[in-house]
Amino acid sequence: MRVPVSWLYSYIDLDLAPEALADVLTIGGLEVEAVERPTGGARGLKVVEIRDFAPVPGADKLSLVQAFDGDREWEIVCGAKNFAVGDRVPAALPGSTLPGGFEIGTKKLMGVTSNGMLASARELGVGEDHSGIWLLGDDAPLGADVTEWLDLDEAVLDIDLTPDRGYGASIWGLARDLHALTGADLMLPGTGPNPGGDPAVPVTLHDGTGVRRWDGRGIEGVTVKASPPWVQKRLNLAGMRPISNVVDATNYAMLETGYPVHAYDRALLAGPELHVRRAEAGEVLTTLDGVDRTLDTEDVVIADANGAVGLAGIMGGEATEIADTTTDLYVEVAAWDPVKVLRTGRRHGLHTEARSRFERTVGAEWLTQGASRVAELITEWAGGTVIGGVDEHPVPDVAPRIRLRPARVRSLLGVDIPADRQAELLTALGCDVEGEGEDERVVVPPSYRPDLRIEADLTEEVARLHGYDKIEPRVPSTGQSGRRSPEDLAAIEVRRALAGAGWTEVLLYPFIADEDLAALGLDETDPRRQTVKLVNPLSKEESVLRTTLLPGLLATVRRNVNRQSTDLALFETGHVFVPPSEDEPALDGGPGGVELPAEPDHLALIACGAFVDGRHDRDPRDVDFADVLGAIALVREVLVADDLRVERTHEMPFHPGRAAVVYFGDTRVGVVGELHPRICKAFEVPPRTVAAELRLDVMVAGGAALPTAVVPSPLPGLRFDVAALVDVGTDHATVRDAIAAAAGEHLTSLTLFDVFAGEQLGEGKKSLAFSLLLEDPETQLTDTEEAAAIERIAGAIEGLGGQMRR
Amino acid sequence: MSNDTIPTVSDVQALGEEALAALAAATDLDGLDAARATFMGKKGKLSGVKRHLGKMDHETRKAVGQAVNEVNAAFGRAEKAKRTELELARDRVVLAQEAIDITLPPRVPRRGSLHPLRQTVDAILDVFVGLGYEVVTGPEVESDWFNFDALNTKMDHPARTLNDTIYVQGLTEAPPRDDGTTGLLLRTQTSPMQIRTMLDRAGPGQDQPVHVAIPGRVYRQDTPDATHVPVFHQIEGLAIDRDLSLADLYGTLMAFARALVGEDVKLRFRPHYFPFTEPSAELDAWIPDEEGDGGKWVELLGSGMVHPNVLTAGGYDPEKVQGFAFGIGIERTAMVRYGVPDLRLFAENDIRLLSAF
Repeated sequence: MRVPVSWLYSYIDLDLAPEALADVLTIGGLEVEAVERPTGGARGLKVVEIRDFAPVPGADKLSLVQAFDGDREWEIVCGAKNFAVGDRVPAALPGSTLPGGFEIGTKKLMGVTSNGMLASARELGVGEDHSGIWLLGDDAPLGADVTEWLDLDEAVLDIDLTPDRGYGASIWGLARDLHALTGADLMLPGTGPNPGGDPAVPVTLHDGTGVRRWDGRGIEGVTVKASPPWVQKRLNLAGMRPISNVVDATNYAMLETGYPVHAYDRALLAGPELHVRRAEAGEVLTTLDGVDRTLDTEDVVIADANGAVGLAGIMGGEATEIADTTTDLYVEVAAWDPVKVLRTGRRHGLHTEARSRFERTVGAEWLTQGASRVAELITEWAGGTVIGGVDEHPVPDVAPRIRLRPARVRSLLGVDIPADRQAELLTALGCDVEGEGEDERVVVPPSYRPDLRIEADLTEEVARLHGYDKIEPRVPSTGQSGRRSPEDLAAIEVRRALAGAGWTEVLLYPFIADEDLAALGLDETDPRRQTVKLVNPLSKEESVLRTTLLPGLLATVRRNVNRQSTDLALFETGHVFVPPSEDEPALDGGPGGVELPAEPDHLALIACGAFVDGRHDRDPRDVDFADVLGAIALVREVLVADDLRVERTHEMPFHPGRAAVVYFGDTRVGVVGELHPRICKAFEVPPRTVAAELRLDVMVAGGAALPTAVVPSPLPGLRFDVAALVDVGTDHATVRDAIAAAAGEHLTSLTLFDVFAGEQLGEGKKSLAFSLLLEDPETQLTDTEEAAAIERIAGAIEGLGGQMRR
Repeated sequence: MSNDTIPTVSDVQALGEEALAALAAATDLDGLDAARATFMGKKGKLSGVKRHLGKMDHETRKAVGQAVNEVNAAFGRAEKAKRTELELARDRVVLAQEAIDITLPPRVPRRGSLHPLRQTVDAILDVFVGLGYEVVTGPEVESDWFNFDALNTKMDHPARTLNDTIYVQGLTEAPPRDDGTTGLLLRTQTSPMQIRTMLDRAGPGQDQPVHVAIPGRVYRQDTPDATHVPVFHQIEGLAIDRDLSLADLYGTLMAFARALVGEDVKLRFRPHYFPFTEPSAELDAWIPDEEGDGGKWVELLGSGMVHPNVLTAGGYDPEKVQGFAFGIGIERTAMVRYGVPDLRLFAENDIRLLSAF
């Protein structure tokens, strides 16, 4: 809602500067988003009368105008043609300034000197009309300063109305609220009742239309022309386009009273008669915006003898639109059903000022005031006479009677407001408050506050009028120690450890396309191909929920590499979404038995390019399998989980020789590997990109374990090296495990320090060199024990078909 | 004095003079060592004197012996001083030669980072854990009952339409509704966890108090721009007890804002509207601009007293308990916190942005 301050101040006796007024409204729950002065800054503009004009020689399109400012005549060159001698128009004479600060001087055009310019409505910032000079009408005071006469410096408040405060969509509603908020006097005009008599158009309200009240009035003998300039300015500042005095009066009355109004050209109504009914199947209405709309039988229409002439509560029809030739009117002010208006508006994609008001519920009790106000404005601006009116009221107004317990209000607010004061505040709003003392009171809200229905609503009003800013804040005790779950804390540790080790966390949208999963090389039977699909996705490429984090990470790598960031080590933790199964049961969907997908929590890592940065004294080193497996080993350490174990896997999307299933103890936690070259190509990521995807929820289940202390041995241990000469195909873990078993109970450290293969070792052989540490905190180990251990180790290596070297 | 001549005290003293002179003449540590060898070594000149001591009579031996000791001591003192001096001189030269270019780039251990939204979530949760809140989380795919119905949202509310909410195809063979919606959706707010938490703790004879903070990702059918993204994060708070009030809510939110933005933050608590709270409120913080002469109010969060219908949906009796709830937008908070001008940057995951955090 855009509110010119002068308009508001004509109904409430306030003298606050616009910015201070904005603060009062905002803290009162009517948030002012901006205070604007769209027409501000105009200086020295005058109302002039056109005395004469003639074409500028050699320039057909330009006229040289003789303009009289009440004091002297000015020669002004003008490109418009819409004026006649005697018209009064705004002139920006030399030395004047247009809104926004544009300065006007004399200017030579086609050999003629122009003393400033004549202005269009748009040039004055009061409208969009730039088709010609703004004709101000005969009443414009000759020589007057336009800025003063039209109050061009005035401020406009842009209020962001919450859905409950429908009354805020009217000047009167805002004035009433300011009265309650500040105590300032309200100055709403008295409007007459419905005059009765025959408005010359009979109306029938049919069942099933939800219309609660209908006020229709006949007006004869109007003259349609432009509205007074100040009306045009106000409407424009309020965000509505001025059209003609009759149409402007309907809009002006709506902005002022909150009741949407529709005026029909009576001569164009077939019958003339009106029916409020449901639309017929296939019925077509051409609305005022020129669109042919095929109606739904749920739509409520106003129809004449030939068919629909208006979409109830939303928009009128083109056929009975007010035109320059219109002389007789039928003016409708009705109270429509909010839900029907919303549904019809939604069905036809129509957002109008009327719809937004009816959706918030327009109270019917004072509907005739709105109708009287618009009749008054039309006859004032367009002449004519009200010949009669009807007031049909098929659905009686029911005001709720709301129980108010003052003690309960105090308890909910935490503010000590006495019962009488509460009653006083609610009365200022227009409520009727019955009852005495601290006991229960009964509050009947006014019809323009349909949002007040229960005690909690009244509680908010009491708080609002008392002032939210006057509430004394206090911090209550929760009576418990705050905590995060062990699983949360473990996940936090995992993320921090990875970040500390050079991995950067990303947060990705969980949307992918089914095609991404096929592109990953996942078999049709792979459970990850069973996706949960979206009804209205953001895009085709984001049409299903992810079952794996990899497509998102691959896309992120691609995007970063395209932006020249080629060395990446990224990780993400987040939900994947899978149809419920025995292993992943559905979550409770509440009443209605809706089945929810399961949402396992994953951790995925991806890296490409250099993993160790280069320096002038050191070459960079590219990431490989061991780096990513190392990150997983770090996660295991942080979680104090069981030993890390790997098993070779050939599953996609990985390189068949460079991928492993990872276990912590006997628990399978995920997969790690270099991506298959085909996958790198398909997803346009660098070759040799390495990735892993793990079950975070499985890893952190029960939280991180507490480490058990190992007391360092007080006695020096035995350190020695052994090398195993084995077949190339024998893997490290086999040799390591054999040596570890053979080394015996005192082994505390076993480290591979060299892997070597060369001609001197023989074809198909390799040497793995280990250093060992044996420790016994009780007794000093001796050379004898070392010799025995080495002998056992030699035997173990021979058991693998190899040979020990020292 | 020859080797065979019996040395006198004055001979010894002369030898002492000679030794000290040799010491003084040494220009480096090798020279110093040579001087020591010449005079004090096993085959040195003073050792030669000592060899004669046995052949002397008692008186002479005593006098010469004393002279030898004096020379010994004097040489020791002088040598120590000279050695220190020469070592320092050597160090000056050697260490100067070892100088490096200390302005070469450091070898920085590689470090990653947590996403700025993650850091913001964790910082906010730290505040609420400090205030005694328990952190709980819930599903991102919700039923419309938890996301809308239980939260007092009217059937015709625009938020329920395909224009505002991303719906999920039903997992069972239920026919779609006329308006295209299903009972399954991507939660539009973290508020459904209010209901899940309440249902978990309410019940005949128990009605436990609740103080929970609920972080999570939420979804809206929104066209991205600088201040709107379709996927964003919230932290929901819910407190239920016998007599919690709007003043308690205000105080809690103020404590939060001070912890996060700063002790002297200027705040504005004003009425607002949410279907699931009544009275409702929003909290704004005044964020000064960089010049410090202006600024603007930035909405931090929405909040209010839990609506009686919501308490009822959660299994509590609104006549017996009262509570408040609030929802904090993480993206907006992070925007203010880190000076990020455009929300879309958080979703781009450009490493050049992320590595700064």
